[in-house]
Amino acid sequence: MSDGEDVLKQYLAAERDPHREPRVRITGLMVQYYHVCKRELWFMSRGLDIDRETTNIQRGTHVDENSYDDRRRSYQINGRIQLDLLDSGDVMEVKVSSTLEKPARMQLLYYLWYLDEILDIQKDGVLAYPKERKRETVELDSDARTEVEITIRGIINTVERDTPPELKKKPYCDACLYQDICWV
Amino acid sequence: MPKDNHHVFADGELSRNEGTLRIDTLDGETKYLPVESIDTLYLHGQIDFNTRALGLLNDHGVPVHVFGWNDYYRGTYLPKREQVSGNTVVEQVRAYDDHDRRLEIAHDIIAASIHNMRANVQYYDGRKEDFESAVDRLENQYARVENTTNVEELRGVEATARKIYYRCFDRILRDPFELTKREYNPPTNEANALVSFLNSMVYTTCVSAIRKTALDPTIGYVHEPGERRFTLSLDIADVFKPILADRVLFRLVNRQQIGIDDFEQELDGCLLTEDGRLAVLEAYEETLDRTVEHPRLNRKVSYKTLVRTDVYSLKKHVLTGEPYRPTERWW
Repeated sequence: MSDGEDVLKQYLAAERDPHREPRVRITGLMVQYYHVCKRELWFMSRGLDIDRETTNIQRGTHVDENSYDDRRRSYQINGRIQLDLLDSGDVMEVKVSSTLEKPARMQLLYYLWYLDEILDIQKDGVLAYPKERKRETVELDSDARTEVEITIRGIINTVERDTPPELKKKPYCDACLYQDICWV
Repeated sequence: MPKDNHHVFADGELSRNEGTLRIDTLDGETKYLPVESIDTLYLHGQIDFNTRALGLLNDHGVPVHVFGWNDYYRGTYLPKREQVSGNTVVEQVRAYDDHDRRLEIAHDIIAASIHNMRANVQYYDGRKEDFESAVDRLENQYARVENTTNVEELRGVEATARKIYYRCFDRILRDPFELTKREYNPPTNEANALVSFLNSMVYTTCVSAIRKTALDPTIGYVHEPGERRFTLSLDIADVFKPILADRVLFRLVNRQQIGIDDFEQELDGCLLTEDGRLAVLEAYEETLDRTVEHPRLNRKVSYKTLVRTDVYSLKKHVLTGEPYRPTERWW
């Protein structure tokens, strides 16, 4: 058994057992960060703070809170998964913009995977960009499942490092909340 | 986008009025301060306030710095921490407790502090008088920093540098201002009074910046934690005094925005009058808002933001071991 499988098995076992806690509690935000920037994920996992007053965060929260208000309900699961369920039964994830499509999709896929693997609930997902009047459906097929599992191993590896992943300039660094920590 | 500081000079009462702050002055005036727009509140007058007012300030994370009689710094009411991180404090203490790590951070702080003193003297070299020898001697102290092997010795280097530096003030400052000797508790002449007041402003600016992180303000690296004040703020303030306080001092005096009649000689020292304090604070706040292009952040940042990023940089260093880069004037 390779180390990667081992990590995933441990994670699954701990999550399925109501009396145990996994070494790393993986949230949807962590999945998103993992696909945006592993350094950001490491910082966030160590409680490195960011400026919460920034307008970007406020905008995201505003769009999330004020879109499709009446047709979805929020659920908080095991203190790490916070998802919105539509009347149709689909899980919806709302984003301000579609520029970082993969991280958003992976976050949603992680919710679907978690519901299926841990709670035995099968759902489909909808990614919504209200400002762009755009939606796409997301399904947990076997390829997606594999991608989620690779992501989980990657997150655990990243978070358990002693030092943050190396500094690397990305096109969206200038818009990142951690820029003042990364580059100073 | 950093918010503005707000200074209250009047005597009166500070209270909560629904979601906003209200000040009723003894002169019978009422003013409202939208609490969302305040970064830090400074109380210079005699102000009554209650827990409801503090609660509102707390909700919005606004620290309150209190100045007492003749504007001596009295203390700070800090809002409940929003940023709590046991991990950060543990690493901060570890770095303090490890001789080599502590010394490395202290080196960085003092080197930046001396660099910033030298930059000021260099600015006036040739413009005012010949400061070549002072620049050289500061250069020597800067070079010595690297070779000190303990924090006490390092503080000695810093003290020598500061002495060389303060001796230049006399010749930078337009007559009749003079700083033959730096004296405080209480300040003995006008220049000393200005330096003391501005330094206390830099100190409070650092207290506010540290509060925005999970760092513990009582654990510093150059100063000993036994001292009466927040020692980490004293450390960071050393870096910023030449940038924030001394340049303001030179400007105020040399452009005659402040004169000898803005001071009063009391029995126990020399102090700024209320008009004097207003002029100084206006110039200080204006300096905090000045911006400069940051070479690594690819944007313009204000001097106030520089204080905050400095603290971030230190925090990142204690948590990750990546280099701490205290602000050395590059502009």
